[in-house]
Amino acid sequence: MKFYEDTLSGFGKDPRVKCKVIAPNEFKQLPELVNGETIIPRGLGRSYGDASINENNFVLSSTLLNKFISFDEAKGILHCESGVSYEDILNAFVHRGWFPAVTPGTKYVTMGGAAASDVHGKNHHNEGGFSNFLLSFKIVLANGEMKHCSRQDNSHLFWATVGGMGLTGFITEVEIQLKKIETPFINHKAIKVNNIEKLFEEFEKHDDDFIYSVAWVNISAKGRSLGKSLLLLGNHASEKELPSSFAKKKINLEKKLPVPLELPSFTLNNLSIGIFNSLYYMFSSNKNKFIHYDKFFYPLDSIMNWNNVYGKRGFLQYQFIISPEHGLEAMKKILNKLIEHNAFSFLSVLKKMSDQKGLLSFPFRGYTLAMDFPKTEKVLLMCKELDKIVLYYGGRTYLTKDSTLDEPTFKKMYDGNWQEWIELKKKYDPKNRFNSNLARRVGLCLS
Amino acid sequence: MSLLVLGANSLIAQCTAECFAKDKHEIIFAGRNAGQMQKLANDFEIRFQCKAYGIEFDALDYNSHKTFLENVLKLIPQVDYVLLAFGYLGEQTKANEGFDESKKIIETNYTGAVSIIHLFASHFESQRKGNIIIISSVAGDRGRQSNYLYGSAKAGLSAFAQGLRSRLFKSGVHVLTVKPGFVDTPMTYGMPLPKLLVASPKKVGKDIYKAALKKKNILYTPFYWRFIMMIVKSIPEFIFKKLKL
Repeated sequence: MKFYEDTLSGFGKDPRVKCKVIAPNEFKQLPELVNGETIIPRGLGRSYGDASINENNFVLSSTLLNKFISFDEAKGILHCESGVSYEDILNAFVHRGWFPAVTPGTKYVTMGGAAASDVHGKNHHNEGGFSNFLLSFKIVLANGEMKHCSRQDNSHLFWATVGGMGLTGFITEVEIQLKKIETPFINHKAIKVNNIEKLFEEFEKHDDDFIYSVAWVNISAKGRSLGKSLLLLGNHASEKELPSSFAKKKINLEKKLPVPLELPSFTLNNLSIGIFNSLYYMFSSNKNKFIHYDKFFYPLDSIMNWNNVYGKRGFLQYQFIISPEHGLEAMKKILNKLIEHNAFSFLSVLKKMSDQKGLLSFPFRGYTLAMDFPKTEKVLLMCKELDKIVLYYGGRTYLTKDSTLDEPTFKKMYDGNWQEWIELKKKYDPKNRFNSNLARRVGLCLS
Repeated sequence: MSLLVLGANSLIAQCTAECFAKDKHEIIFAGRNAGQMQKLANDFEIRFQCKAYGIEFDALDYNSHKTFLENVLKLIPQVDYVLLAFGYLGEQTKANEGFDESKKIIETNYTGAVSIIHLFASHFESQRKGNIIIISSVAGDRGRQSNYLYGSAKAGLSAFAQGLRSRLFKSGVHVLTVKPGFVDTPMTYGMPLPKLLVASPKKVGKDIYKAALKKKNILYTPFYWRFIMMIVKSIPEFIFKKLKL
């Protein structure tokens, strides 16, 4: 099978490793693996750490497997190949009144990747994650066999694969439910919140009136302003409420501010504050009730390659979740820890979540905070301390973002679930042919 | 309005077709793998709500080309644009060692192109309208030791397009020669190319579409390749032959 060698990394740019890449435009078969060689599927490489890389081994790219297969205009059910991205779906279906039911904060994610990470969006607490709207998929297993999985067919494999980080097989096609919308605009509200207690109150208060909610936290705020943030709420705007001037608005989605080169690392501290402030300003000063979906859901996509702002050393994301009972206490502890370490984050995002059924899916009912940091020794040590706090409160971190977790910590965080998952791994991939740097690091493979 | 894509497996071709589809053209995708072509057409129908067809076409099966033309005209009686996008980069070192690889490079990039394009040229000439878009390459502007087989076939193709352009001018038929530089497609995957010079197929597709509408003669895409090639062509041969290009 034709492959080429390339140096790949996750979105965080570290680690970078040599992989043998296969990018077919038609799925015929898995590559022939010899001498214990392994393979990992990869979409657009938006997972931050090492989930989509496989050092000195194979990476099976889905980016050319990006064709729509069918669309049921009445029901909003899309059947497509796994390399189709959110961008593809938005471009084709928004003007026809359909929207992805769950979307992450970037549109450069494939459906295969969305399933493997069981991604979540700003509506998780109300509507659930990607797998809630994933009706079925086709997956090629390690033995080359193709299986159709849904809640009815091969349901064990279905729940092991959503959130399964590509380690059960290669997803070739998915069938997803889109959501009916009337306009491409979001009826939004931005609330300035002075501290974390207030933020939690506001979250609860608006549970019923807005399906989307997310808060940007200014993590440099201390003391009584700890957790000072901007809470952003939104609903899809209906045709009736939208002023007629909006209907005619031409939106240029292609204008982008590029960050083509890796910036020197010293620019970061000022920049991170700058970015927070500009987003803060953009939303809080926006007198319009209505904004285009692209600005609401994908503000960072308008800065092409924003991962370059951290320079050559790369960066990491740290996203954890804590139950509502301990949420406030744990968040405070963690925010104080960050201040103690003088850790700056480009963007810190807090939101509410509900339970999720995939065996390795990240969300459960609670509060989640996502942050990014330059990858330095100091930060790595801090993450170990954060892990301890998260574990203490019975929380866990998100594998798609992670690049620091060690095997024992991971197994404690996902206790009960990982054992069940490993049993299924034994059944569907006994020779451990699907493998990645992440899997080896946290022990999601057979020894 | 309609576009016929010859060699529709090409990402550049697909991205060009995307622009035509958004502009409500009917599209015919032609390529060696009929199933793939059908899949592509199906995708376009869903994605752009345009009419699209997928049919089989083999550039090297010269005898089939006449029937192919007839079949195309049965599907769409009036073809407005033909986009020639098939090509084969091959391996220079393999070509140095045996004639088979050389033959494949020459025939795919040149002979096959001449065979099918001449048929459409005559058809368009008799209709007194039509547009032919030929994807050649900057590699045809100067022979380099690293890929002169491909380069020479593309040089032939560029000269062919040039001559054809003059011939068809009086009939109101337009010929556009496209010379892309490095583009991020399966043809270049894994090559150690300077990242800043590698363009996305989307950008190249858009350039081609715009140039076709404006009836440009020769398009370098992205534009800076015109200047790069100007410099490359201006290096005296006694120096050029010593370079490791």
